[in-house]
Amino acid sequence: MQFRPRRHRHLQRRDLEVNGDAVSLTCLCEGEKGVIANAFGGYGLTRRLAEMGLTPGVEVTLLRKCPFRGPLEVEVRGVSLALGYGVASKVFVKPLKVKPNG
Amino acid sequence: MAKQLRVALAGNANVGKSAIFNQLTGLNQTVGNWPGKTVEKAEGTLFFRGYKIRIVDLPGIYSLSTFSIEEIVSRDYIAVDKPDVIVNVIDASALERNLYFTLQLLELEAPIIIALNQVDFAAKKGIRIEGEKLSTALGVPVNSTVAITGSGITELLETIIEAREPRKQTQPLKTEYGREIEEKIQSLEKLVITELPQLCMIYPARWVAIKLLERDTDVAGKLDNYKNGKQVLDYAEKLTSELEAIHGETSAVIIASERYGLAAKIAKTVTTIETPPKISLEQKLDIITTHKILGYPVLAAILASMFTLIFVGGSFVSTGLDYVFSIFTVHSESFFSSFLPEIAVQLINNGILSGIIAGITIALPYIVPFYILLALLEDSGYLPRAAFLMDNLMHKIGLHGKAFIPLILGYGCTVPACMGCRIMETQRERFLSAFVVMLIPCAARTVVILGLVGRFVGLHAALALYAFDLVLVFALGRIAFKVLPGEPVGLIMEMPSYKKPSPKNILLKTWSRTKDFVYIAFPIIIVGSIAIVASDLSGLIDYVVKGSSPLMSGWLGLPAETGIPLIFGILRKELTLVLLQEVVPLSSLSAIQMIVFTLVIMIYVPCVATIAACVREFGWKKASAIAVIDIALALLLGGIAFRLLSLLMSG
Repeated sequence: MQFRPRRHRHLQRRDLEVNGDAVSLTCLCEGEKGVIANAFGGYGLTRRLAEMGLTPGVEVTLLRKCPFRGPLEVEVRGVSLALGYGVASKVFVKPLKVKPNG
Repeated sequence: MAKQLRVALAGNANVGKSAIFNQLTGLNQTVGNWPGKTVEKAEGTLFFRGYKIRIVDLPGIYSLSTFSIEEIVSRDYIAVDKPDVIVNVIDASALERNLYFTLQLLELEAPIIIALNQVDFAAKKGIRIEGEKLSTALGVPVNSTVAITGSGITELLETIIEAREPRKQTQPLKTEYGREIEEKIQSLEKLVITELPQLCMIYPARWVAIKLLERDTDVAGKLDNYKNGKQVLDYAEKLTSELEAIHGETSAVIIASERYGLAAKIAKTVTTIETPPKISLEQKLDIITTHKILGYPVLAAILASMFTLIFVGGSFVSTGLDYVFSIFTVHSESFFSSFLPEIAVQLINNGILSGIIAGITIALPYIVPFYILLALLEDSGYLPRAAFLMDNLMHKIGLHGKAFIPLILGYGCTVPACMGCRIMETQRERFLSAFVVMLIPCAARTVVILGLVGRFVGLHAALALYAFDLVLVFALGRIAFKVLPGEPVGLIMEMPSYKKPSPKNILLKTWSRTKDFVYIAFPIIIVGSIAIVASDLSGLIDYVVKGSSPLMSGWLGLPAETGIPLIFGILRKELTLVLLQEVVPLSSLSAIQMIVFTLVIMIYVPCVATIAACVREFGWKKASAIAVIDIALALLLGGIAFRLLSLLMSG
């Protein structure tokens, strides 16, 4: 089939440079806010995240983080979402307020 | 003849869609599958102002793309079957996310009415939505409802009927994207109209254009059937690549962002935040139950009390029912004997009747309370929290937190648990969870474990069996996860706020699930019972005993006669204990034999009803693969356990 979703390797590399100050969602502390910069990963995952409201430019709040690389809970567009650690590590955000000690 | 209307309910998950469905249809509903799909289809009928209204409850989804079968089923139903009215149920407390879906319905040019639901809950959170403004913004009727109490339902029905009247026709909003995207959509739309006129009879051309730009594989696949499809696809690919080059994102993400932008804009104009929300009881509950440490003891306590309640209460009711039915069967036997030959009496009494009775004594005391408690956990919003807490652990076997839900179901009955695997997103995930769920001891197996090992060997041995089962589940789950091809899917799940469950919804849910269970399981249980009686009468059982004796006594170290309960246990697991008592006196069995027997029962294929459910979900091939693996595993482990335990006991 010609209409195969492509993986955008070249896009990923370029964006990594552009978003040099973005960190993975898993790096935020509980209660910290950030603005979504980008999500990396397969076509299905990025699309799914966008459909659940995690689109570039939107503000998210990290509500809860489970220990041992457990899932995260974030608030986006007035809704709470649970994200597995693997998923969350692929979402990059620009922290809104850098914590003094972290 | 009454005028007919076909209405579909569509919306996100957790917005109270089923509550509205229940308010509308009450007990007049049937739950089945979409033809050829393992997606639940709930339908119901009601009569209102001379109209016969057929209502279909579409699955709760967040988008009309191709992420899951549910999304494809929903959009095909809306586009192809073209219901007269689509009621888009919206959660007033999460307007933006819900409007994202609404905008997609508008793109499909569906005739929608909005039910702005949970307005009371939104008000609690300090959110007030102006329905009038929303209606103007979207160009469609908006009704405020509180589905749990039924307020606004009559008005909603009136709007449904009015929506068909020509004078009430409104001009629904046309979604508009940013300039670059809009230009591309329009030029692709023109090409679609000229090159694919047949396709435009079914789907709106603009929608097809948008979907092609989003690289929607399902729509692209539809184009393959048309002569000029290739040309359109190539052009779409060119436009999409251009778009992606400009934005540096995948097209689907760009379009989703734009759509969300529009949704946010509309949401902002119609929403007023009134009082700053103070911490409510629900939020306090949420803090405790999802706490990274406290959450686990709470989860354990909830599950423990749930199962204690079910099994203690269940065995009490079950014993009572058994007593009543035993009196009944004695009378029915003498009644049938008066005019029927002995064989027929045996078939009717021990086959059909005792099959029905066995079904009732298992279903009523165990399954019904289980369903009630499950609905309570579901409607209150606790289940997603349990899934959240268990996500980490479930990842160890390649699944994510949501798989915890069918796993818990499995302790009640494997049949609904098998169907519950539908909540997993991909076919691989569904199969993997079903495989694991099969190994979880269901209520019937618990009856054997507690009734044989627990009673005669001791509770510690029974608990050890449960612990062993959990280890086995994790070990096998891990192996299956490594062996099965495909990528594991991560958890992306909405965490709905806690809500007070409505008794009406819980009862309706329990009722429809019990009905579903009875339809699947009862015929098979009855046929199974007849098969047992027939093989007993025809002397087939003796051959079975002879044939299986090397395996039974040689490998498993059990009396040869135990082959009978083990083989017929495939029909009904809870029956194995009764059958065992009939073939060998329980007192003659050693502790080791009891443990080995129970272990085999616990692991091998749950029962035919489960296999039937599994075939329905995954097809013959996969269902029989699971069955064969489970049987082989049970025999293997049984033999090993016999040798190991003998060694331990003698040593």
